[in-house]
Amino acid sequence: MLGAQRSSANVGTQLGGFRVLNADGNLSVTAWGYWPGEVSRAFAVKVPAAAQMLAPSSIFVLDSRELKPQGVEGQEALRLLFRVLAQLPFAKGTILRGNAMTGMQLSRLLRECGADGCIEFADTQSLGT
Amino acid sequence: MGSAEDEATRVIYEFYDALDELLRSRGTSAMNEIWHHTDYATASHPFGSWARGWTEVSVNWDEAAAVFGFYKGHATRSDEIGGIHELKVVVMGDAAYGTGIYKSKLYMSDRELTLSINCTNIAQRIDGVWKIVHHHADQAPPDWQAAIGRMVEAGHS
Repeated sequence: MLGAQRSSANVGTQLGGFRVLNADGNLSVTAWGYWPGEVSRAFAVKVPAAAQMLAPSSIFVLDSRELKPQGVEGQEALRLLFRVLAQLPFAKGTILRGNAMTGMQLSRLLRECGADGCIEFADTQSLGT
Repeated sequence: MGSAEDEATRVIYEFYDALDELLRSRGTSAMNEIWHHTDYATASHPFGSWARGWTEVSVNWDEAAAVFGFYKGHATRSDEIGGIHELKVVVMGDAAYGTGIYKSKLYMSDRELTLSINCTNIAQRIDGVWKIVHHHADQAPPDWQAAIGRMVEAGHS
């Protein structure tokens, strides 16, 4: 029997956005494109708050396969999430990586936030366009 | 003032001078200056996917600068990190495209990392000023990309 599952509607547009899925105490975030300011601000509010629900047995996944490198506001929104994750004792954290430059940006932000020890990358497609 | 071909050729060489500045952690101002800041500006780098529109293009250059902020192999060297070779420029009215081979050498702590990839740049003349509106570089080989990724993860070259 499936446990409780709750998914947010897509925030943003096809060009840039994200959605959050809570299922069985695990958290999955899918992000794509380049975020305009309002999407960055929504991410900064919704996703770190959702991450606070993670428990020691929880799994966190950020699917960034379609995410482009972000500007100042988008990076700050991601930092807010990573700073929360750095403080939480969840079981496993994974970032699904596609665009190599986005992966490098996320890697840099994770290190800045002290979250590089609790999140690992998984390459899911060839690098490039 | 030279011919249109001379002017377009000059701006493409200046683009690679700006790239060397960026890779040497000397900032992105020269790179920003060499582009027309239009919504049809486009760029694709040796690692990464398409950036479309000046906002995304500039973010990609900013991130490239952040990535190479970890690179110290040229801190005490005067040779170029890279440059464009065999550049051929064709002018058609107020637009010009240049094809060439970008070659670079990075001095990593464990080895020299070389790159040789085909590149295309498009320059446009707006109000008499030639600037870049498009840059495309082939994807770098996986081992080159992996080495740069390791540099970012480690925080040093």
